Formats: sequence, C-alpha cells, structure tokens
Amino acid sequence: MSAALTSFLLSILLTTAVLSRAADLRAPAEITAGTSFSIRGGGAGQGTFYLIGPASGTKRPVDLASDIQVESEEVERAGRYTAIACGGDQCSSTHFYVRPGPPDRLSLIVHPSRVPVSNPNAISAVAVVFDEFHNLIVTPQSVKFTVTPTEGSSLSQSRDTQNGIAWIRLSSAPKGGPAKLEAAIGKTFEIRVVQQVASDACNLQIKSSWISQHLVLETNPVRDCGGNFVPDGTVVSFTKTDEAGKTTVDVPLKKGIAKVQMLVSGHAHITVASGVVTGNELNISGGR
Amino acid sequence: MPATQRAIRRATNKTIPRVFSIFSLMALALILSILPKVSADAALPRVELTADNIGPRHMEDLTSKSVPRDYALAWQSLAQALEENRRDLLNGYFTGLAKEKLTQKIADQRKNGLHLRYEDRGHKLAGLFYSPSGDAMQLRDDAALQIQVVDGDKVIQTEQLTLHYMVLMTPGADRWLVRDLETIPEGKP
Repeated sequence: MSAALTSFLLSILLTTAVLSRAADLRAPAEITAGTSFSIRGGGAGQGTFYLIGPASGTKRPVDLASDIQVESEEVERAGRYTAIACGGDQCSSTHFYVRPGPPDRLSLIVHPSRVPVSNPNAISAVAVVFDEFHNLIVTPQSVKFTVTPTEGSSLSQSRDTQNGIAWIRLSSAPKGGPAKLEAAIGKTFEIRVVQQVASDACNLQIKSSWISQHLVLETNPVRDCGGNFVPDGTVVSFTKTDEAGKTTVDVPLKKGIAKVQMLVSGHAHITVASGVVTGNELNISGGR
Repeated sequence: MPATQRAIRRATNKTIPRVFSIFSLMALALILSILPKVSADAALPRVELTADNIGPRHMEDLTSKSVPRDYALAWQSLAQALEENRRDLLNGYFTGLAKEKLTQKIADQRKNGLHLRYEDRGHKLAGLFYSPSGDAMQLRDDAALQIQVVDGDKVIQTEQLTLHYMVLMTPGADRWLVRDLETIPEGKP
C-alpha cells in the first residue's frame, strides 16, 4: 500500500516537474528605454516571471512555453535588468541593458545667481542631458549655450557632452542687469537668469555743507567704473578726525547716495571709503 | 526659615535635576528609536577613490575624504533599504532621481513580496567631472557585489558580479548626496 502511494506521489512530482519547467531565457542584449519587447521562454507549464530593474522589482505568473511580453512601462529606466523565470523548483535568468532614448530633457545648473559686472569666468553653467524618462545620456551630444544680456546681442557657443555633461564658463558683461542664460539641445531648452550687479565703487566723491551746528557729508551718486549704480545697502564709511578724536560712521547707500551728519570740534579731517575703495578727503576748518 | 522647610528645599533642589536628567535620557532614547537608522552591524563598504583625472575643478582634500565616506554610507543604507524594503533609509544619502528610482523599486518589491540582499565587496570610484563652482560631481563606480533575489524567504537567484555605475553627487548641508545612480554596460564610457 505504502509503495503504491509513494509511486503515486513520485509520479505527481515528476509530472509537475515535466509540466512546469523553466528553460533558458533569451532577451535582446540592449533595448531602448520605453520600448516593449518579448523574452523567449521555451519552458513548459505555468511559472513565475520576475523582472528586477533599476526602479522595479515585479513578479507575475506566466506561461513558460510562450514568449514573455515585457511592456514599455516596465523598462523606462535605463540600466541593467535581471529577468528570472521559475517553474517548479527550477529558475533560469537572463540580463539585458536598457539604454536611454533620444535627448529630451536638460538639467541646467548656473552659478552664481548674482555676479559683479566685468568679472572674467565668473559664471559657470553645467548642463546634464536626459531622455524623456530622465535617463542620463552618456553618448556625446551637442549642447548650445546662449547668453542674452539686457542690452546688446546674444552670444552662443556649443559644447559636446562628456558622459552626459556639458559645461561652460562665462564672463559677466560690463553693464549691470539681468542676463538670460540658455542651454538647448534640439527643441529642448532650459533658461536661467543671472543678475549682474555693479562692481566696487569707483571715483568715490563726497561734499560737505552745514545745517545748524552739524556738518553734513554726502556722497555723489556712487557708481562702479562701468557707470553702473552700486546697489543700495552697500556700506560707505565716513571717518572724521578732529580735536575730539577719531569717529567712523557706517552708512548704507540709499537711492545711490550715502549721507551723514556729524558734530565737529575745531579743525577736522574727513575721509570716505566703501569696501577697498577710498574717496576724496576734506579738511574742514572752524567747527561751529 | 524652619529646619524642615530648609530640608524640603534641599531635597527638592537635588531631585528636580535628577528627574530632568532621567526625562532627558528617556526623551533621547525615544528620539533615537524613532529616527531611521542604519544597523551598526552592517559593515561600511570599502570605497577607493581616484580623482587624478577629475576636472575642471580640482578636488579639495576635505572633499576627497568626504565623498568616499558619504558614498560608502549611501551604499550601506541602500543595501539595508532594499533588504528591508524601507524607503525611510534612503533619506540620509539619496536625493533627486536616485531617491525617486529606489523608492519606486522598494514600493514594487514590497508589493510583490520580494527583497534584494546585497553583499558589498567594494567600490572603485573614479572622478570624471567636478563643476567649476563645486556644486556637482560625476563619478564612475566599479562595484563588486553579490546580489540575491529573495521571494518571501526563498532565494531564487544569487549572482556575483561587477556592476558599472555612473554616479552624480551634489553637496547637501553637511554631506555629499547621491543624486543619480545608473548602471551602464561594461566599457562605457
């Protein structure tokens, strides 16, 4: 009785093994991202198919005798995939690479967002090229960088990507204002704006007047050497040396001008500075 | 002031700081138990960095130490996240596309009762690009790994292989983060 039962169980196991058998899987070595394709099974019976990719880990029942269809959305991410088919206790596997599709997206990193005028190689732009599924395209592509200043005509230069990255260094324009920086590949483009601000003050000049007992010191409109107004908030330091000693007052620019009132005792020597730039000096006699 | 009141005050002055310190320790223990953590027994993967051919920016000494350290920590957390199907472990060292892809992978694995078991046998990192302003770095990684695909409790495949990755890292507040991690066929680029 037990021998009959054993042979019956063995026959079931053998039948299952014959019915459900995973054979060598065959997939194309490389396919393009987002393209459906099929993997040749060649096994027998029902089994389980696993697909392990850069952004996936799926499992589904399949007929091992038929080709296994892999849908386009299952292979949108570029990279190495492992396909495994299991039938009974037997599993077989294959690997394939999904390569990126054509360029479709750009990531543009521009640094800094504010830059002083007339500064050589002060701006850097880095463009990273992706396909429509955000896969990095490592094959060389030509990226066109275009700078459009507020005034004047735009300038363009092309750079080939290396491992998916193209970069360029640019000098800021002599005139302040926003500059548009564009990176383009085919019909895809990305734009960033860099604010070009005045450089250090140039030819800093002060004048004096009296209001009651106070000496009033005032700068002329403060500009850089390119004639751009130095931004409001930039600090101008007035220093007075008289019989009472030495006094320094820091004043931020307001509407391009810095203004301060001081008490003077006797003869006074006045200097002015902004950052590393010094301006004219005044000698005031007879403090009131 | 009566002697009993002084005694009570002295006792209170001693007790309050003790109670506070006990509560502080309990609060600290609670915070540490809540925070996502990478298990201490998982050894940090070995990462060797070659930065001889990186450009256009030269890699600073401090950066040449922090990049391999942070990359090793990223792989340690990646391995644990994929084994335990825990997305929260990606927060420390992944961002952008890399985090997005791994999060999707973990969601898929969790849904299908799968997990991956990584045995990390080391990484050879080669610096390819370091942006002029220091805000992006591209590297190539030749990673020696053993990967097991596990369905429930059953190991359905074990592979020992060297995978080649293109890695994009960007600086975060106090560390370098993996922004993109893409396997490429051997020999590319």
